[in-house]
Amino acid sequence: MITIIKNRVTQLVVVLFILSLFTFTLMKLAPGDPVLTILNADEMVVTEEDQAELRNKLGFDQPLYVQYGKWMFNLMQLDLGKSYMSGKPVIEELLTRIPITAELTFFAMTIMLCITVPLGVWSAKYVNKWPDQLSRILALIGASIPNFWLGLILIYLFAFKLGVLPSSGIGSYSQIILPAFTLGFTFAVVYARLLRAGLLQSLSEDYIYAARARGVKEWRILWLHAFRAAVLPVLTIFGLSLGSFLGGAVVVEILFSWPGLGSLAVDAIFNRDYPVIQGYVLLTGVFVVLTNLLVDLSYYVIDPRMKRKEEAL
Amino acid sequence: MNIQMPRINQIPFFFKNQNLLIQCGIIFFMIIILITLIGPFIVPNDPFTANMSERLAPPSSVYPFGTDHLGRCIFSRLIVGAQSTLGITALVVVTVALIGIPIGLLIGYIGGRLDTVFMRLADGILALPEFILAIAIAGFLGPSLMNLMISIVFVKWIAYTRVVRSIVITERNKDYVLAAKVGGSSSWKIIRRHMFPQIVSPVLVLATLDIGKVILTISSLSYLGLGAQPPAPEWGAMLNDGRPYFQSAPELMIYPGLAIFFVVLAFNLMGEGLRDKWDVKSR
Amino acid sequence: MFENKPTTSNENNLLVVENLSVTVRNSREKLIRNLNFSIPQGEIFGLVGESGSGKSLTATVILGMLSKSLEVTSGSVIFGQSEITSLSEKELRNIRGRDIAYLSQNYQSFFTPFIKVGKQFIEIIRCHTDMSRKEAKKVAIHWLNKVHLPAERVFNSFPDELSGGQLQRASIASAIMFQPKLIIADEPTTALDVLTGERILDLLSELKEELNCSILLISHDLKHIINRTQTVGVMYGGQIVEIGKTSAIVANPIHPYTNLLLQSRLRLNKHIQHELTAMLGEPGLIAEEGCPFSKRCPSVMESCSNIVPMSSLGTDHSAACHLVNAEREERYVTR
Repeated sequence: MITIIKNRVTQLVVVLFILSLFTFTLMKLAPGDPVLTILNADEMVVTEEDQAELRNKLGFDQPLYVQYGKWMFNLMQLDLGKSYMSGKPVIEELLTRIPITAELTFFAMTIMLCITVPLGVWSAKYVNKWPDQLSRILALIGASIPNFWLGLILIYLFAFKLGVLPSSGIGSYSQIILPAFTLGFTFAVVYARLLRAGLLQSLSEDYIYAARARGVKEWRILWLHAFRAAVLPVLTIFGLSLGSFLGGAVVVEILFSWPGLGSLAVDAIFNRDYPVIQGYVLLTGVFVVLTNLLVDLSYYVIDPRMKRKEEAL
Repeated sequence: MNIQMPRINQIPFFFKNQNLLIQCGIIFFMIIILITLIGPFIVPNDPFTANMSERLAPPSSVYPFGTDHLGRCIFSRLIVGAQSTLGITALVVVTVALIGIPIGLLIGYIGGRLDTVFMRLADGILALPEFILAIAIAGFLGPSLMNLMISIVFVKWIAYTRVVRSIVITERNKDYVLAAKVGGSSSWKIIRRHMFPQIVSPVLVLATLDIGKVILTISSLSYLGLGAQPPAPEWGAMLNDGRPYFQSAPELMIYPGLAIFFVVLAFNLMGEGLRDKWDVKSR
Repeated sequence: MFENKPTTSNENNLLVVENLSVTVRNSREKLIRNLNFSIPQGEIFGLVGESGSGKSLTATVILGMLSKSLEVTSGSVIFGQSEITSLSEKELRNIRGRDIAYLSQNYQSFFTPFIKVGKQFIEIIRCHTDMSRKEAKKVAIHWLNKVHLPAERVFNSFPDELSGGQLQRASIASAIMFQPKLIIADEPTTALDVLTGERILDLLSELKEELNCSILLISHDLKHIINRTQTVGVMYGGQIVEIGKTSAIVANPIHPYTNLLLQSRLRLNKHIQHELTAMLGEPGLIAEEGCPFSKRCPSVMESCSNIVPMSSLGTDHSAACHLVNAEREERYVTR
């Protein structure tokens, strides 16, 4: 188990290095001179000396690898610089937004699970009967509908026409329902198909036949013998598509005026607030990489065969 | 022992004829292409002319879907928008395939250390989700359609390279390739004659399904204002334009959204149909 | 007993399969045609044939686990007093694992891979009785000991931590816990090496004596089960083409397919006097009409394209082949 974690962590470090290099390069490629931005050159008269002094102070006159080294050193201490807009440290800005996005994501995933598991199991149980066809149609819709548009339709129906749910804002549970559903639905129906396929696969395994032949009850076969193996492919895809999930969260946050990380990033883009953008990209990147690590490790919990197989190598 | 379970890839009754799926998709696809090609010549109104006296007009014989906040004809803008949305998407997918396939052939054929380096790099890039990457590029290089396209290409090519690579690696060790080598065929000839035909169907399926995804990505980012910029009649951008008037004039948002939905649905139907027909396993 | 019409009157028979046919639902594709055989109490009955001949499907029907995409179109399966094909799912579940036990051809996939063996034993016991977990564990340990396994260790192991022979023993233990009347052993030794396989068969025979149960032993290898079975049925293309006392069949195989199965047997004490007869067609080639083997048969006749009825050769041997008549005449002449 320890060797596995060691391997994964090495991979993680490589990936994080690429991520940091990528962000740093983009930062350097960004148009406009950050020195002029900081000195507010649009509104003030800036002398050459002032510029040179600040450039020297920020270390921009040093070779790129030295700059990268310093940048990395600061990064290690969670120093991401200060926001151009608010003047507050970027890390502080990010930390205040994380709980808001986390709340949205948590509820969206809960809704997702509440749709995926019953729909997937149900359609595997009634293969080619109407529940299966319903789930197929839902999956086609889910894969084809832009989630921001689904959100708009939901706002129109539930907020404007029926007036039962608020269209924006945070704080109460009624305000979470629409955004969380918008974010969760499109993923849920697609995952339900994956779960169905996984279940059909594992239900056709010989050991399921053997369990039936031993007189084991049907519900035990489904939930205890077949479900576990079926969850693995869904987990893999979920890990891979976590990025899209966070991307979806950006759109949903804008749509429902949630002041989360996504809103922060979009505002920063329009204001050319580079340190904040950089902080956002690094944070989500690290988060995605770490979650993928967790998904990988969860395999060993779900299917103990894997652990022994790898340890045998 | 699998006799007790029905076949997994059985299709519900209304898709029983597997080809029906593709047929639906193809019919949709033809209509879309037709609209894209001749659309600009048949639109009832100029999609760019603002007419403030007619703003937010309800559907009428002159404006089939009504007008937007600047008095422009929504129907005409939708039809013309098809061209830009689909054109951009096609360009992105073709570029991605042109980058991804040759690299995949090369890496798969040469293998060894090059392959290891590529797989590490791919893991690194894929850890960076497409959407976040698009935000990063739009953020640092400025929001524009071009930057959006670059960011999508930057991530997407890897999927094609991976598919091609895995096929080439499987085929490379098969007897017929060895036979061709022994027979004195050049590497280039082996790739062209033996490998290339193998990758056509999986790549076509991947591309068809990707078109839908790319359309969704572009329109979502355009909706955020990070893609196509006004006054371009791109569907996502149209939705962004219509936002402030959503409550009073929902048709501003309903029609572009429906357009996106049906186009993506068409490509998804076609992609799934092709996948079933050619029995391509997702890799 | 082996006439075309089976004798259900025989009180000793534990299982009687009568005129059984299975088809794919909504199609005319027949997977099993007019199957007739019976297993007497306390005997081992062998069912032999190549893969796809319908042996495992027959087992599935007896277990009452036929997929919804298949259906029994005619015939009956009578186990003890009950007619399997008309029982409810709940009644079937009570029989399965309790009165009829099943041993899988693939020992590796007999137990669900990510659940500990002991847990699966307890599951079976608690599905059929209302024992507490503690009592169930005692029972499980008892039976694991019975099949000569290190019970505690096996109980706490995941299936893939055990060797093939251990797994097969464990699966036998799980099968005999309720002292079943019938054990269906579907190729129990195929995946094992020869010695382990023999030991497993020894164990099965031993347990059969002790429990006085019957065994339906399915195999693709006739010579492998010759010494174990009292009666044997040879299946080809969903039909029984020859059935009878094992000794009678070995001594005098009638059907060319049975001959083929026996020919592949190495005999150390005999020189091969003639070239092996060349078989037409590929293995698995099944004729739609008449005798299923007719497309590969070296002694094929015109009449083989019609349905060939079972005809008997003495009281304990019968075959569905025109060669039976030739054999009879020969016997008559020599006499």
